[in-house]
Amino acid sequence: MAFITQLSARHDSRPAGWRRLLCALAFGLCAAVAHADGFEVSSAATQLESDTYQLNARIDYQFSGEVLEALNNGVPLTLRLEIEVQRLRRWWPNETVVQRELRHQLTYHAFSDQYLLRDLNSDKLTIYHTLNLALLALGAVDGYPLLDAGRVEPDQEYRVQLRTALDIEALPAPLRPVAYVTPAWRLSSEWFTCSLTP
Amino acid sequence: MFLDALRRLTSGPRPVALLFVLLLASFYLISGATQNTALFGRLYSLLLVVNILALLLLLALIGRHLIHLLHQYREHAPGSRLTLRLVVMFVLLALAPVSVVYYFSLQFLHRGIDSWFDLRVEKSLEDALELGRSSLDGRLRELLRQTRQAANELGPVPDSAAALKLNELRQNSEAAEMTLLTLRGRAIVSASMDPSAIVPTMPSEAVLQQLRQGLDYARLEPLGEVGMHVRVAVNLPVLEPGAEPRVLHALFPVAERLSLLADSVQEAFSQYKELAFLRQPLKYSFTLTLSLILLLSLLTAVWAAFFSARRLVAPIRDLAEGTRAVAAGDYDKRLPLPGRDELGFLVRSFNEMTYKIAQSQQAARHSQRQAEEQRTYLEAVLGRLSSGVVTLDGDGVVHTVNAAAGQILGTALDDAVGRLLQELPGRHPALDQFVEALLPHLTPAEPEWRAELVLFGQKGRQVLMCRGALLPGSEQTGPAGLLGEQTQPARPDFTSTQQLPSGSTPATRLAVSRSGGHVIVFDDITTLIQAQRDAAWGEVARRLAHEIKNPLTPIQLSAERLRHKYLATMPAEDAEVLDRSTHTIVQQVEAMKEMVKAFSDYARPPQMRLDMVGVNRVISEVVELYRTDHRPVTFDLQLDPRTPAIQADAGRLRQVLHNLIKNALEACGRDGAHIRITTRCAEETGCRFVELGVCDDGPGIPEEMLANLFEPYVTSKPKGTGLGLAIVKKIVEEHGGMLWVENMPEGGACIIIRLPVKAKGEGLGTRNQIQE
Repeated sequence: MAFITQLSARHDSRPAGWRRLLCALAFGLCAAVAHADGFEVSSAATQLESDTYQLNARIDYQFSGEVLEALNNGVPLTLRLEIEVQRLRRWWPNETVVQRELRHQLTYHAFSDQYLLRDLNSDKLTIYHTLNLALLALGAVDGYPLLDAGRVEPDQEYRVQLRTALDIEALPAPLRPVAYVTPAWRLSSEWFTCSLTP
Repeated sequence: MFLDALRRLTSGPRPVALLFVLLLASFYLISGATQNTALFGRLYSLLLVVNILALLLLLALIGRHLIHLLHQYREHAPGSRLTLRLVVMFVLLALAPVSVVYYFSLQFLHRGIDSWFDLRVEKSLEDALELGRSSLDGRLRELLRQTRQAANELGPVPDSAAALKLNELRQNSEAAEMTLLTLRGRAIVSASMDPSAIVPTMPSEAVLQQLRQGLDYARLEPLGEVGMHVRVAVNLPVLEPGAEPRVLHALFPVAERLSLLADSVQEAFSQYKELAFLRQPLKYSFTLTLSLILLLSLLTAVWAAFFSARRLVAPIRDLAEGTRAVAAGDYDKRLPLPGRDELGFLVRSFNEMTYKIAQSQQAARHSQRQAEEQRTYLEAVLGRLSSGVVTLDGDGVVHTVNAAAGQILGTALDDAVGRLLQELPGRHPALDQFVEALLPHLTPAEPEWRAELVLFGQKGRQVLMCRGALLPGSEQTGPAGLLGEQTQPARPDFTSTQQLPSGSTPATRLAVSRSGGHVIVFDDITTLIQAQRDAAWGEVARRLAHEIKNPLTPIQLSAERLRHKYLATMPAEDAEVLDRSTHTIVQQVEAMKEMVKAFSDYARPPQMRLDMVGVNRVISEVVELYRTDHRPVTFDLQLDPRTPAIQADAGRLRQVLHNLIKNALEACGRDGAHIRITTRCAEETGCRFVELGVCDDGPGIPEEMLANLFEPYVTSKPKGTGLGLAIVKKIVEEHGGMLWVENMPEGGACIIIRLPVKAKGEGLGTRNQIQE
């Protein structure tokens, strides 16, 4: 089921409330499995620069003890940041204009005692010698290009929403069933919404 | 249609077999996934969910089967107990080995996983890591010292000339790349070992942050595909106050072999740590997989138990239902053949049996119908016979009586069927005599006999010609019972039993069901005999009239002539003798003439003048003549005014009345007579006859004369021709009527005449012609 979720995360644009529902259905338990309050989008705003709308956001990543233990034991963690730009419509579901997913993989390098952060979209590797530095860097989204100004119709209203979550499907297979049913592993943030402003 | 197709697809063994194969395949994939191969790793969660759903589905399927079975069990449906027993047996058989295997597999699994981990291995890996780190630490310090030295050399060099110096410094050192940059992160110049590298590798913000704090940076960094590098960044000494602080950033490659070794150690350590961390989840995962497989096997076994038990029991259930159907009389039941095994043989035998029963049933029905048809045919024939027919069965119970029998015996015999012959008397005098006369011929039963019976009943004397014979199948063994007991085994005869009237007793049925018996055929030949006698008397009368009448006149004339000629001439004494003799001759001749006339009247063929005559009127006229007589006679006329007119010869009717009245008067003698004359419409015949009765209060008619009363020369009176009643009878018969005499219980005799009421010109003329 989570596999389906992941696939749909790639191909489907809809918010993932139903995925959680399906997950709950799949395992038929832990209805109370809510997102941990470890992840939070603290701020987000857009700016128009050289005819491109750019996103700036700050995200707080607070890992639970179990997740940290796994990370320090060499388990790579994949974090997924979903970004959507929607055109608001009255009496009708909103139209998703842009949908992006930023994926980062965080690993602990025991030999050098450092944390490696790999941007899976660009395969760029960054090295941090503390976890905090790595999380700060991970939580800073600066000037991420969203869409061309030309695609924005002037008399329409747009909004940007984003959220982040730990990708359980990217965990090693034996860990997944446990992760699905353990609240400490179900880390995600609420959708954060801001308007698309120049 | 679609639903039917769906039901067909989801029923039977195929869908579950398919499900089972699919589940097995997915379990194979799951077990592969736990080995963390890429494809299976991606499919793992999906497979898990699919399998759990499939198991739930299987569970629901089995639950449905179970509920159905329990329902059937409670309803005591045929085969449900056997099915339940088989299911329980199969499940137990499957559960026991699977549970044992499951338990031991789990033990082995956990021990196997635990055995992967060893404290010594962990320790040595950590030691290897530490060794690698410390071996690189010295190198790290050396490179830091080198870089610091280079920074000092570069310190005084202005930015414009820094490129050359930097290149020189890089060549002198082992650095792969050297970059001079400001503390804010702006690259000033760069020198690289790789001539194609245009963009220099920049230190991260964290490194710059450290440098801003005045601390140099030197660290081993795994740079992915380029291998291990040592990154060193040092602050350059500030030459002029106010100038922007600069930083020297250098990347040193670690020796390839060392880098590989370090990578290998890191890889092994990391993997071991991850595996050690995943030990518990791995156990859970394997346990989950194993449990799912166990559940799958178990549920499939349970389902298979249901399926095979049903298949096994189906023919038995069919047989039970078939037996019930046959017991209920449905012989057309055919069961589907389950196969070529013993059950199949049983079912085939059952089908054969029901087929044969159905066939014989049909044959029995056919023969019953045939027998019924024959019986109806026989009844029709018997009903139209003028002869009376009575059949008795072996025990003397009346089996068949036709309508003519009742008519001849003068009593309805419809209720006689099913009763013993001896029980019948007491109902009718003629019947009593009939039964009494028959019994000697029936006990002991004669194979064939013939007898003439004379009965006396209301109709007078009746002569019956009886013929009797044993029916086939009857065999007499002795005098026991009415007709003797039969030794021959009873022949099943459904037809007789079913055709008995509903009132017949079981005993009768039993008796009738036995074969044999007696048939008695009888005819009323009274009329025939009477006709023969009448014909004989007619002939006598005609001859008498012819032979005697002719000589009488000459005798009389001669006697008168003798008298005339000699009476006067003879002496008185002789004359007296002559006178007396001739007188006697003449007188006797006269009497003889009268007698001959009477005979000729009797023998004369009828010349009737038919007319519509009111009987009552004729009676009144005739009686009126007798009233003028001086004899002491009283008439009691009971004439029914509703009596219809009949077609008759009025003169002859008068003669009949005269003869009857005269007869009555003569019977009563000279002391006076009381004569009652009645007429009525014979209602019991539907008013088709007028009944005329002439009764006197005389001594009645002697018993021995009753039979031949209406024959010529039968008379009890001293004088008379004896032809009076014979002529009455003749006239009545000429009118198509009939007559009989009854002695009244209070004394006296009654002569009853029935004359038919007919429309003018109908029937009678024809009858007269026949009589002529």
